[in-house]
Amino acid sequence: MSHAQTRTSSTPTAPARKPSGFPLGWRRYRSYTLFAFTCIPMAISGLLLLQGVSALGQGEQAWAAWLAGLASPGMVALNLFCLAFTLYFAFRFGWVGRKIAAGRIGPIPAPGLPMPILGIAPLGGFVTLWIVLLLILGGAIG
Amino acid sequence: MAEMRVVKFEVLRFGPETDTEPRFDTYEVPCMEDWVVLDALNAIKDDIDPTLSHRWSCRMGVCGSCGMLVNGRPVLTCAAFVRNYTGTIRVEPLSNFPVVRDLVVDLGSFIDKIKSVKPWIIRKIEKDVGQGEYRQSPEQLAEFKQYSMCINCALCYAACPVLASEPEFLGPAAIALGHRYNMDSRDEGNAERFDTLADADGVWACSYANECSQVCPKHVDPAMAIQQAKLTSALQWLHVVPKKSFT
Repeated sequence: MSHAQTRTSSTPTAPARKPSGFPLGWRRYRSYTLFAFTCIPMAISGLLLLQGVSALGQGEQAWAAWLAGLASPGMVALNLFCLAFTLYFAFRFGWVGRKIAAGRIGPIPAPGLPMPILGIAPLGGFVTLWIVLLLILGGAIG
Repeated sequence: MAEMRVVKFEVLRFGPETDTEPRFDTYEVPCMEDWVVLDALNAIKDDIDPTLSHRWSCRMGVCGSCGMLVNGRPVLTCAAFVRNYTGTIRVEPLSNFPVVRDLVVDLGSFIDKIKSVKPWIIRKIEKDVGQGEYRQSPEQLAEFKQYSMCINCALCYAACPVLASEPEFLGPAAIALGHRYNMDSRDEGNAERFDTLADADGVWACSYANECSQVCPKHVDPAMAIQQAKLTSALQWLHVVPKKSFT
């Protein structure tokens, strides 16, 4: 459904002004973009993890080689980079979780489980499925 | 007589009928210690340049009419004390809205969005007046009271980075208002609001920048309302909680 302005008016108007410096010169947009950008370091972390699980499935030698690769300065820097953004995402996501607790919806009785648990449960399910998927793709199970 | 301090104001001027580009006019305004930015704008209009257009009404942070950008931040100019700023003060119309003239913006799209969430109590069957009022406990009131504090000043729309790039987004105030009625124990209309709130341009367009809650002059937390409405929409979509039971 579109929420665009539908009314017609005889009053001439100029187009909406973007905030000064928009997009990346505007502090609010930079913050918004930074949060969205966290998906990239997190994806890199996921791929590194997948590579590790795959090495684990291939045997001791592959696992040792993967661990040795992680010890290089470049990989340490990359992991610290990913860790910083992942922590930023985690703290910010936790802040959201604090806000989603809702008592009930209109006159509808509250569900059996507390709302925070209902909110966190899908995230827990997602993380569990992701770990299982990694283990299958990595050859550790299945 | 109280001491006056001369403060320089840069005010955006733009008349769509005559101007091709907005410009900033500079005014040096003698301000009293207790003046707010709105007082200075009124002084400009009264004593310096009567062609300046700006919108205001109550002068006490209730009507929500005088929202503008002051030094780039969306504020109610009736609550922005001149003494809290240093140097030149720049005043602009709210961003993300078409400009009618100077500091006056067209809030038509904002009003349309507010109306689209049906911000009124919907009942399947209305009681007769003789049957008395709908009773509500303090706990039930507390669940939505903060969202009813919104004065529709639209500052949250000027601060929202999602709206700046996606004008179709329903926006913080409208979602908070729809959620306010969904949370009201007297209301039975959440199914009527579901399609609007749960739309891709509704709650799911929000990526939780939280800027709306930062600028709200009435300390409403629209970002919280949106996150709660997301959970509500997801649970309704999954049929964990019904959305059509009462309609």
